[in-house]
Amino acid sequence: MSDKSTLSGIVGERGVEQTVEGHITACSASRDNSRFAFATGEGDLLIVPRETLRDTATWTTVQAHDGPVLALSPDVAGAGFLSGGEDCRLKRTVGDTPEELAKTRRWIEHVACWSDGRKGTIAFASGKEVHLREADGTTALRTLEHPSTVSGIVFDAKGKRIAASHYNGASMWFVNSKDSAAKVYEWKGSHIGITIHPAGEALITSMQENDLHGWRLSDGHNMRMSGYPTKVMSFAFTRNGKWLATSGADSVILWPFFNGGPMGKPPSELPGIPGVLCTRVAAHPQQDVVVAGFADGAVLMMDQSSERVLPVCPAGGGSVTALAFSSDGCILGYGTEDGRVGVVDLTAPA
Amino acid sequence: MSEIQGETKDQVPVTVLTGFLGAGKTTLLNHILTAEHGRKYAVVINEFGELGVDNDLVVDADEEVFEMNNGCICCTVRGDLIRILGSLMKRRAKFDGIIVETTGLADPAPVAQTFFVDENVREKTRLDAVVTVVDAYNVLQTLEESSEAVHQIAFADVIILNKTDLVDEAKLAEIEAKIRQINAYVKIHPAVRSNVALTDVLDQGGFDLQRALEYEPDFLENTEHSHEEGVTSMSFPVSEPINEARFHAWISALLQEQGGDILRSKGILNFAGHDDRYAFQAVHMMADGDFIGPWKQGEKKESRLVFIGRNLNRPRLRRGFESCRA
Repeated sequence: MSDKSTLSGIVGERGVEQTVEGHITACSASRDNSRFAFATGEGDLLIVPRETLRDTATWTTVQAHDGPVLALSPDVAGAGFLSGGEDCRLKRTVGDTPEELAKTRRWIEHVACWSDGRKGTIAFASGKEVHLREADGTTALRTLEHPSTVSGIVFDAKGKRIAASHYNGASMWFVNSKDSAAKVYEWKGSHIGITIHPAGEALITSMQENDLHGWRLSDGHNMRMSGYPTKVMSFAFTRNGKWLATSGADSVILWPFFNGGPMGKPPSELPGIPGVLCTRVAAHPQQDVVVAGFADGAVLMMDQSSERVLPVCPAGGGSVTALAFSSDGCILGYGTEDGRVGVVDLTAPA
Repeated sequence: MSEIQGETKDQVPVTVLTGFLGAGKTTLLNHILTAEHGRKYAVVINEFGELGVDNDLVVDADEEVFEMNNGCICCTVRGDLIRILGSLMKRRAKFDGIIVETTGLADPAPVAQTFFVDENVREKTRLDAVVTVVDAYNVLQTLEESSEAVHQIAFADVIILNKTDLVDEAKLAEIEAKIRQINAYVKIHPAVRSNVALTDVLDQGGFDLQRALEYEPDFLENTEHSHEEGVTSMSFPVSEPINEARFHAWISALLQEQGGDILRSKGILNFAGHDDRYAFQAVHMMADGDFIGPWKQGEKKESRLVFIGRNLNRPRLRRGFESCRA
């Protein structure tokens, strides 16, 4: 538990911090925003009830996986979470007892879930395969085969398509079509992560070689976004899809996705910490606000239009490895490689 | 390598275990894992089933080789290793070192290059040594038939010359000479059933060229190999201090041009204006280096570079290195 007087950030007034065993691999809010979860390299899920967010005595730890948790997603509905791990298992955790939904031969490294509140689809990647499941998590829909190990998966906003990144490009599939083959977007090299524009205008991957690559979906036009000193491990479109916020430099790099951009347009930058790499970014779901985590453990929240910077927490606890807003934008959570976790209630009076 | 460990104690040492099918890799692996050393190793292997490695932390690899996008065909890395090492680092406290066992036919280059290329791997781990297990009974024939076997010896920092009970003294001498023709500066440990001292295999400090040179100081020093087709090794000493900038310019141009042929290069350098030794190493065209602490008391401050590869032109390499003198 943190001493408020030593904190210089909004977590001191509006949130709480704790240090737990293990590397924080991911964090997420549940679909109904009633709970927030942190996943660890020790296989645990640390679950934070929103109602009593600042009372760490009400947090619970659930042993979900044997070995590190590699992926975490909100469940299709309600207060549950889906997670995948090195134990090759897909788990659903609603209460304190995780339920096994699938067991594969390879690590489950990526889990994604699409939901419109009534129906939903679950996807998880294991080796070269992406498995699609109905909302119950156990009814198999399709298995999508890829030429090499899948390094990232993403649903489009309507849940109609799913895209996967892999070596030499990305593949896009229609979720409900039984027989269609993937539309393959080729670009030589190793693609290590993927995201899709909220309005379906572009597919973006990060690459082994400190670049981003993209394809305009209307015509397959290639776009390259380069100049990073390190690999881009984290990226997020802002709420309206106008900007793509990215990690990988000592400031937050934002690429413009309007007026023909990012082709031929320079990126914009938000302030960072000089000489300290940004390792994680997340975009607020309702406001033009981006939050960034850094290699020294600091987290900053930034208003895009005014470029005002609000410190969330100071440095400490190792590199920021997990960062997420709840879908209503009211909770922000972060975690580091040395097990420092923090949650902030953005609605709470300061 | 106390100097290295002092500077990089947070980096996990990784031992790459290679060798032809049936050479005795798995026997060596089990020997390492069951020995009384009080240390825990995570093991990355390619085939689970047949070998029965008894360890909590055994991870199954895919051997996914990636070409890098720099237009060079020799610049390949193992994508699966990047993922596996990254994930192992999430439970760093659980083990003291990592052993990567490659399949018998694998080229060790993509494995070794992974430790140079990927920034996260470089930050968290260090390549301690490439250990190649060689089957004394079959090696001469294997080397005739397989370029992979030649590569496995060329890339090795340590060779476990196994099954020595199956050959006589004369044959053994012939084998050692053949190995040294390919890689003159490798440490060779004769063994039966992979039974070697663990200190010969683990914690080798990949950079420690000095140790290799002490082991076999001037072998092949005066032999001319520039017209031979096969893989050979050459070493070049310079007694005057080296100009750091000039060296980097020369070596990067050289590796750019000949990186495909130069399988490995290593060196200990005395840069003008620095008290510490500089350790340099490269796999093909991917190079890396760092200052590794002061010269030992009474040690000659001599710079030395070793090249292992094909089509090495001795006079040209020597002139190039000598032109880097401060």
